[in-house]
Amino acid sequence: MTPPIPEAGPELMFGVITTISAFLVISILLGFFMRKKAKSFEEWLVGRRDIGPLVTGFALVASYLSGWAIFGNAGLGYAYGWSGSWLIGTTCVAGTALCLVIGYRMRKYVALGVRTVPEMLKVRFESRMVQALAGLAMIILLIVYSVGQYKAMATVWTITTNTSFFGSLLATAILVLVYLIVGGYTGTQWVSCFQGILLTIVGWTLGITALIWAGGPTNIAEAIGMQMFTAPGGTQTQIPLKNYTLSLSAPEGLAFPGVDYVGVTAAMFMFLFMATGFPHNIARFLGTRKITKREYWVMLLILLVGGLTPLWIGVVGFAARTAWGDLLMATNPPIYGDSAAVYASISAGGITLASLFAASVFAASVATIAGMVMIMATNITRDLVHNTYPKASPKKLLWLTKIMLIPFIAIPLWWTFTSPPPILSEFMAGSAVAQAGIFFFVVGISMYWKRATKWGAVATIVYGLILTLLNPNAYGKLVGLCHWGYWALLLMFGSALIYFLVSLATKPLPEEKLKKLFPKMKS
Amino acid sequence: MNKTHFLLVIMALCIILVPVIAYILGGWYAYWGHGLLAIIFAVLAVFIKTRYYWEED
Repeated sequence: MTPPIPEAGPELMFGVITTISAFLVISILLGFFMRKKAKSFEEWLVGRRDIGPLVTGFALVASYLSGWAIFGNAGLGYAYGWSGSWLIGTTCVAGTALCLVIGYRMRKYVALGVRTVPEMLKVRFESRMVQALAGLAMIILLIVYSVGQYKAMATVWTITTNTSFFGSLLATAILVLVYLIVGGYTGTQWVSCFQGILLTIVGWTLGITALIWAGGPTNIAEAIGMQMFTAPGGTQTQIPLKNYTLSLSAPEGLAFPGVDYVGVTAAMFMFLFMATGFPHNIARFLGTRKITKREYWVMLLILLVGGLTPLWIGVVGFAARTAWGDLLMATNPPIYGDSAAVYASISAGGITLASLFAASVFAASVATIAGMVMIMATNITRDLVHNTYPKASPKKLLWLTKIMLIPFIAIPLWWTFTSPPPILSEFMAGSAVAQAGIFFFVVGISMYWKRATKWGAVATIVYGLILTLLNPNAYGKLVGLCHWGYWALLLMFGSALIYFLVSLATKPLPEEKLKKLFPKMKS
Repeated sequence: MNKTHFLLVIMALCIILVPVIAYILGGWYAYWGHGLLAIIFAVLAVFIKTRYYWEED
């Protein structure tokens, strides 16, 4: 018998508001305590370079697990069945491990005065132009990424408090502002570490609970095997969900990564590159202290445990599909299948787990938006304005940073308000491919490849941004680029080709300048 | 072929096998199998880093 779709009552609303408030208080206290310990703004940004493997590991987990992984993955599993796995990121652990292996060298740059990722590029290439361009690219891509975070939190708020979706969007924006004003972001690594632990525990618990609630793995596999794909809005098809590819009809269907094995290949490489390509991920190593080989393995263990959380959230989506069939694909516009996680958390886990899950989505999405808004605002002040006018007073720059918070909260809010994406993770993947394609090479590889040049970096950023506009869901159709897989491969491997070819064709920094950036290896 | 190259080949296999097991096995075996392949990839990547390319400050 199909269980009824749960309805939110005052008890759930109370539970959600209480847990979110508790999360806010803990974050603020951690932020306040750590800010008090920091003696300067610079020390606050990267700490005293004394952050150990546990905090760095969980902070990395938190910055990687955004609204996409902790929430949107259930929508993918629910809407697309097994073929949703490619965007769920079943192989994402491989990408986070690459980030661990590559990102540790960021420490080298902190010793040279670097405090942000674009500043690292300025030092690596001795170029303010690369710093400014990277800052601009980050702003564009992070705005797109923030849209998905807004939808995640607004969906949870809508269902658990019975507020309208648009009212919930406003509530989310207010929560972001409150979070920033009360200093929720100032704990940086420590707050992120706390979030990482919370997301991991709640994600695993919810996944296992949902698996049992839906009758176990065999029952779920049988249910998915019998169902057909239903588009957001409720249009039913005869395309079965039982396979790992979903042959959706062209041209719209080609924009889904799991439509064929070309899309699948592109999605795999996206997950391999994107953890390193995300600027907010690799920046986690800026505050890390020197660590031993044993501690390196401890960090990997944390990443493995935390990195499996997205798979458990995908399981929640499969469980919801088993319980309710395609019912959610036609309800709650514009939320549709993205509501699967919230309903499953209420049905499978009761008020306690549903409230903890809401706090986790809050942690993942609101804290991520707040973090991204801060990055975008400092990109304007530190990487663009201060870069152009080095004599600008710190006081004015600080004020400008505060003012810039408002447009960077408002732009993605307006975007989500006017055209919310039907399936948020699918939308966010567009930005993820671009960040993977551009910054994996420009930031990650440049730390290890001496021959990389500023012109190689500039050409890669420009090419990556142009290809981003040609996403099949944006302007790609105008030039016949309707297939997500071809687009993503063209962006990532085209960026790689341009990065290497232009670098080899232009002059690198002199050897004596590179010496300080490339340490000796010890086996 | 030295040891590092051998390990890199295994890492490449961990990527290549992902769509293969999705096509051949499907279902839960593929879902968690992908996770397992990714874990093997991750362990090998860190092993190569700590064993052969450890950095000094």
